[in-house]
Amino acid sequence: MNRHSFRFRSLFQKYFLVLFLAVVIPLATNGVSEAWFGYRDQQTTLDRLLGVEARSAAAKIDGFLDGITDQLGWLVQLPWSVEPDERRRIDALRLLRQVPAIVNLTLLDGTGRERMYVSRIGLNRTESRTDRSADEAVAGARAGRLWYGEVRYYRDSEPYLTIAIAGNRPSVGVVVAEVNLKLIWDVISAIKVGETGYAFVLDRPGRLVAHPDISLVLRGADEATLAPFRAIREVIRRAGADVATGRDGQGNAVAAAASPVAGPDWTVVVAQPLSEAFGPIYAALWRTGGLLLAGAAFAGLLAYVLASRMTEPIRRLEEGTERIGAGHFEHRIHIETGDEFQRLADSFNTMAAELATSQDRQERIAKLKRFLAPQVAELVDRKGDDGVLEGRSTEVVAVFCDLRGFTAFSARATPDEVMSVLSEYYDALGRIITKYAATLTSFSGDGLMVLVNAPVPIEEPALRAVDLAVEMQQSVQELIVGWRARGQRIGFGVGLAMGPATVGRIGYESRFEYTAIGSVVNLAARLCASAADREILADVAIAEAVKGKRALIPLGLRPIKGYDEKLPVYGMPFEERADATVTT
Amino acid sequence: MRRRDLLTLISGAAALTLPVRAQSPPLPVIGYLAPESPEPFASRLKAFHDGLAESGFVEGRNVAIEYRWAEGQYNRLPALAADLANRKVAVIVASGGAPAALAAKSATATKTIVFEMGGDPVALGVVDSLSRPGGNLTGVSSLSVEVSRKRLEFMHEVLPAAAGFAVVANPTSPTADTQLRNLHMAAAALGLQLHVLSASTEPEFDAVFSSVSQLQVGGLVFTSDPYFAFRSQRLAALAVRYAVPAITQTRDFPIAGGLMSYGGDFTQSHRRAGVYAGRILNGEKPADLPVQLVTKVELFVNLKAASTLGVTVPPSLISGADVVIE
Repeated sequence: MNRHSFRFRSLFQKYFLVLFLAVVIPLATNGVSEAWFGYRDQQTTLDRLLGVEARSAAAKIDGFLDGITDQLGWLVQLPWSVEPDERRRIDALRLLRQVPAIVNLTLLDGTGRERMYVSRIGLNRTESRTDRSADEAVAGARAGRLWYGEVRYYRDSEPYLTIAIAGNRPSVGVVVAEVNLKLIWDVISAIKVGETGYAFVLDRPGRLVAHPDISLVLRGADEATLAPFRAIREVIRRAGADVATGRDGQGNAVAAAASPVAGPDWTVVVAQPLSEAFGPIYAALWRTGGLLLAGAAFAGLLAYVLASRMTEPIRRLEEGTERIGAGHFEHRIHIETGDEFQRLADSFNTMAAELATSQDRQERIAKLKRFLAPQVAELVDRKGDDGVLEGRSTEVVAVFCDLRGFTAFSARATPDEVMSVLSEYYDALGRIITKYAATLTSFSGDGLMVLVNAPVPIEEPALRAVDLAVEMQQSVQELIVGWRARGQRIGFGVGLAMGPATVGRIGYESRFEYTAIGSVVNLAARLCASAADREILADVAIAEAVKGKRALIPLGLRPIKGYDEKLPVYGMPFEERADATVTT
Repeated sequence: MRRRDLLTLISGAAALTLPVRAQSPPLPVIGYLAPESPEPFASRLKAFHDGLAESGFVEGRNVAIEYRWAEGQYNRLPALAADLANRKVAVIVASGGAPAALAAKSATATKTIVFEMGGDPVALGVVDSLSRPGGNLTGVSSLSVEVSRKRLEFMHEVLPAAAGFAVVANPTSPTADTQLRNLHMAAAALGLQLHVLSASTEPEFDAVFSSVSQLQVGGLVFTSDPYFAFRSQRLAALAVRYAVPAITQTRDFPIAGGLMSYGGDFTQSHRRAGVYAGRILNGEKPADLPVQLVTKVELFVNLKAASTLGVTVPPSLISGADVVIE
């Protein structure tokens, strides 16, 4: 049972595994490949998007600076005269109002002398005529028209930038403006990258120029604050690509892209937390994972059900064959799967039915063998039909034989001697009956009756019966020689007759015998009774049948018990066997 | 003595209401210290609330505010600051000038203070540096104190013929000396004579305005001082009554009928103080929040007042003005 259950489980496991994998592997392959390509696509999109965001942010910062330089350009359009220029002063004051980022303006004439200074904080000056031509800003603007200074922190906190612009000819002079970069905040804080992404600006040495959190900018040249921003820029620079990943000040992983601001040589970096940038990917991955899990669960369920349905008939078949094997032929295997299993179960059921029939027949044949010759029994067996044993009328030869003087002997002798004699006697007769395929219908004590030509008809039944009787006499006479040597006086006589009789099975339940009924049986019995020792008596029908083939001696008419008239009786001579003769 | 009794009563009442409040999760509390009464402060408070909202806080919903009003009696500020420091407040907002900031600073060295003032917080000793304030304070400073010399310049532009001006200072103000020094230097640069007048109480205002005619000065230049700023209505009324050209730090003055104002935009400074208070409530450290300087300095000119006074405002000034009232 242990081994059974183990094998059952193992088959179930195999089916389960195969079915499960058959569903899960394509599902997983599809899911994983989709996730992978989705990831690649999203990354490409993100790269492109962040690159665009960076360039757009740089353009906005550029726009902020351009707005200032465009306005400043208006102040260096006309050449300076020697007189104070009131009109230009009004322009400068108006410019201060229009561009809040400009803290103060210095206007210089063609010779580099300061003609005007207007400020939001300090006192204005006019016509101080201080020579400023050696100033870095003035020299820079004269050399390249537009000059940007280094970012510096006013009082270590507010980022300031000096911008100088020269006119298109020397006589219009130069304007130098101090710009408070804190006002880029309006621009930088308006740049949104996705939901939580942001942009910041670093100058060439890596000072923070602009950041949506103004307090970071106002910390000035604080190395600890600046380090993460520089690190991100460095990562992007080293990656060479548009987009790189780094960590922001809080240690969060960010995807970042950079774009240069050409004028002041700044870098605009846009950064987006990876959690958000890859949010759609993660969502897709979760979705795929969820679907895979659901798919696997479904596959598992499916595989379980299918494997159960596949192994259940096998289990039933197994159980059914076991029961049928144990002899329960009435057991039927019920499988309604409508497939090969059902067919197999049907053939098992047919087999069981046939086995039952077969066993039934075997039992019947076993009973028949008691009175039929083995050959006949085999025939009946082979034909699978005992119809041959049905009652009918046919021509038969009835052979009777018994011992002479047996009753006296049995009264005298010990039971052992009696049984020993009978045993030898029946041994010998049995062999001969079998040899001649005759049918033993009954025996009692020392007499027995044999039928020839029933139930199975044979060629020349009379001849066969005669030979049978002769061989019987020969064999028994041999035995008698031995018995007589031991002082027993026993003889053996045989009578046979041929004629029509009713043959068939008689009896009840399982106690059946095959027998013949008719005058021929009576006649044979009477002939046997009247036969002396060493005598074989036959009736006229036998004699007619074997005429010319076997020698018969007519013994004339003899009165037969039960017959009114005397009947012709024939004796059958036989040669005793040599050894027996010698013994006599 | 009576005041302390009153405070005890207030705190007792607060303690009585405390168990009731404890039913719902307690809101973080901002202690708000201001030198004036709520009415003149309304516009500032609105800006402060806007800033708080920018940081995600709305009074009554996720933050509670305890107000302490000095009602113009600046000597009450230290006691009010100490009271706030002793209460369960998450942050003290000291707004409306240096006196409130200094009072709060001396009241506590542990509670976070966000100040709003017009002076230089480093020069006043409130913080060590703008970029790294250190300690428990940070805040916002408008440029009002720094630009008082520009007021003299503007008056000189409007009245170029005047040989001198009178400067009004509040001797109790911690920034008075610095401003006067700057003004004297500016006067020297502009070639003007300067008369210094003092006023630290409202009754003194009358004397200031009435003395203009005797001093033979072109007009009055008010130094930056919250006491003056919050009394713009009164100053404007006096300026109209005595027909005196004057300039102060706050837009309230020309709006109320005065001639001009030049000073930092208080809506900006109060809003940023609100933002900082919110960020402190969100868990940020004051040492990480640099002191912010308000960049916007605004010039208001009331041309109606100018014509009443019979002065001509030059085009250069009008073109540079942020708001011209006609």
